[in-house]
Amino acid sequence: MNAIDTAIRAAAASITVKGLTKAYDPQTVVIPPMDVELKAGEFTVVLGPSGCGKSTLLQMIAGLERVSGGKILIGAREVQDLEPKHRGCAMVFQNYALYPHMSVFENMAYSLKVAGMAKAERAERVAAVAKMLGLADYLHRKPGQLSGGQRQRVAIGRAIVREPGVLLFDEPLSNLDAQLRHDMRIELADLHRRIGATTVFVTHDQVEAMTLADRILILNKGRIEQFDTPKAIYHHPASVFVAKFIGAPPMNILPVTGDGSALRLADGQVVANAPLTGAYQLGIRPEDIVVDGKADGHAVKAALRFREDLGSHSVLAVDLGGSIVRIATPFGADIADRLELLLNFPTSRLHLFDAATGRAIPGAFGAQ
Amino acid sequence: MTSESTLFSNRWLPILLVAPFMLLIVLFFYVPIFQAFYWSFFLEQPFGGGSMFVGFDNFARVLSDREFWQAGWRTIIFMVTASSLAVLIPLILAVAADRKIRLSLPARNVLVWPKGVAGASIGVVFAFIFNPFVGILAPLNSISPGIWAPGLDGLDAFITLIAAHVWGGIPFNFVILLAGLQSIPRTMHQAAAMDGAGPWRRIFDVQLPLIMPQLFLTLVLEFTESVTSAFALIDTITKGGPGGATTLLVYKIYVDGFSGYDLSGASTQTAILMVFVILLTAAQFLFLGRRINYER
Repeated sequence: MNAIDTAIRAAAASITVKGLTKAYDPQTVVIPPMDVELKAGEFTVVLGPSGCGKSTLLQMIAGLERVSGGKILIGAREVQDLEPKHRGCAMVFQNYALYPHMSVFENMAYSLKVAGMAKAERAERVAAVAKMLGLADYLHRKPGQLSGGQRQRVAIGRAIVREPGVLLFDEPLSNLDAQLRHDMRIELADLHRRIGATTVFVTHDQVEAMTLADRILILNKGRIEQFDTPKAIYHHPASVFVAKFIGAPPMNILPVTGDGSALRLADGQVVANAPLTGAYQLGIRPEDIVVDGKADGHAVKAALRFREDLGSHSVLAVDLGGSIVRIATPFGADIADRLELLLNFPTSRLHLFDAATGRAIPGAFGAQ
Repeated sequence: MTSESTLFSNRWLPILLVAPFMLLIVLFFYVPIFQAFYWSFFLEQPFGGGSMFVGFDNFARVLSDREFWQAGWRTIIFMVTASSLAVLIPLILAVAADRKIRLSLPARNVLVWPKGVAGASIGVVFAFIFNPFVGILAPLNSISPGIWAPGLDGLDAFITLIAAHVWGGIPFNFVILLAGLQSIPRTMHQAAAMDGAGPWRRIFDVQLPLIMPQLFLTLVLEFTESVTSAFALIDTITKGGPGGATTLLVYKIYVDGFSGYDLSGASTQTAILMVFVILLTAAQFLFLGRRINYER
């Protein structure tokens, strides 16, 4: 641990959002009033489909976008009306936005220069950060002479060299190829563990969210669907939207009807016993469905449509009462060429959602 | 080589396509220029009928002429002030416009039109605009008679010329510079803002460095153009007066050659002016062009 790590850890500030709204006009409300608190030093991933307002939220925290109402507090300070430079945030952009006419050193030192730091101190700071990110040999190069991953590191270096209280990332990995994205993800996680800056990371990639986040904030049309740890979000999704957004392949959602003692599929087959009446949506993860098992619950018949062998596992797509259900099975399981499968839905793995609102109904099958 | 030959399978087609333009350039530019160079070594009779090879005598005569040097200095002063203003003013306008405006295609077209207006027409208009009796500065004369007198005061006449030249150059340079500014990604401004740079600082640290290619282009074009295109303005506004105060080299060549019938002297001065412009452009490319970063 060197001086920069300690300084950033000390500077890490919480972010509190109170009744924050963004509307371009009364008809186009991007973010309805939002309340959320991001703890100091926490890595928060803001996850959602494009157009859900996640980038707008980030830009409002950064000060690049005006707020339409409400408050943003960084630490104890109200910042929603301050200029970006007075907020103590640093940002890494999707296209890196490095200054093409400046060397790597000048790019990283620019904010320090603007802040009026002495030249020797500037050089010292940049050198420390460059060393931490493995950029020491590239300081004299222009961004155009660097690879995608190196540019990414320069952008991160430019952000952390100021020892900001808050580090903001706007889909920083989406311009990289798959292998590099994987490597950078690990580097980012490692960096966060070392410097402990309060981090807000915007992405539409659920894998990035699951692997990087302390907590994931899932947005849907500007509203918070769920804000919890990756584990809780995966195992206890708060709504159908979250259930479908997380996991690859995502959770299966089936319409079911309760007759007072059991839940029935559209074709009348019983999937579980529960003292419920009315329409519901039933969720189960692909890996939780048991093929040909005789576990608890009831066995249902399904027609196999197709299978994809992925090496580590196979994904089966079956037709169950008119809905396509995906099942993850061990690779090479003996189900070849059969047209009909017997499925078991273990009750402890079922999720029940309200048919109208899509919100989860916790405890519907006893303790979970 | 293979890609080129597949792109242009017919080797005569490219030559054919370029031919009309090359013909025009050779006929109306290279031939007269070489003719002028050739004549500058001869003593030419004013009304035709034989010439005499005199070596460098013409050059010796022209270079020892005080009026030539005065016209030369005026040319340089005009070149520096007029072209700097013709780039600086559009630059300021473009930076201001870039803050908000997204220019539509028709708007850009309308803005470029003045580039197509003949210098003589601009001259006539500005002669009227700066007329000491009815022009926009006429009220000055009613306050303090004689303060604005381009017909008598050499400086006033020079200012009129520069104003006319700059006016003609603003639209084209504005469009080029604005296009350069608008091609700077929005996130670049945001990144600089996050780094703590205010709007003014961003102009000098981000915007100007990134539009260097456009600035360089407009400067090179302006420098070369200001040397030659001033002719039409001078001929319509000042006729080189008062007292030779606005006689730039290009106008002096015309007067010497076609009023004074000193064909050899005019040819020699043309040759000198030509070499000057070539050297100037070469110097710009050598000292400025090389330091420009075209990367985005």
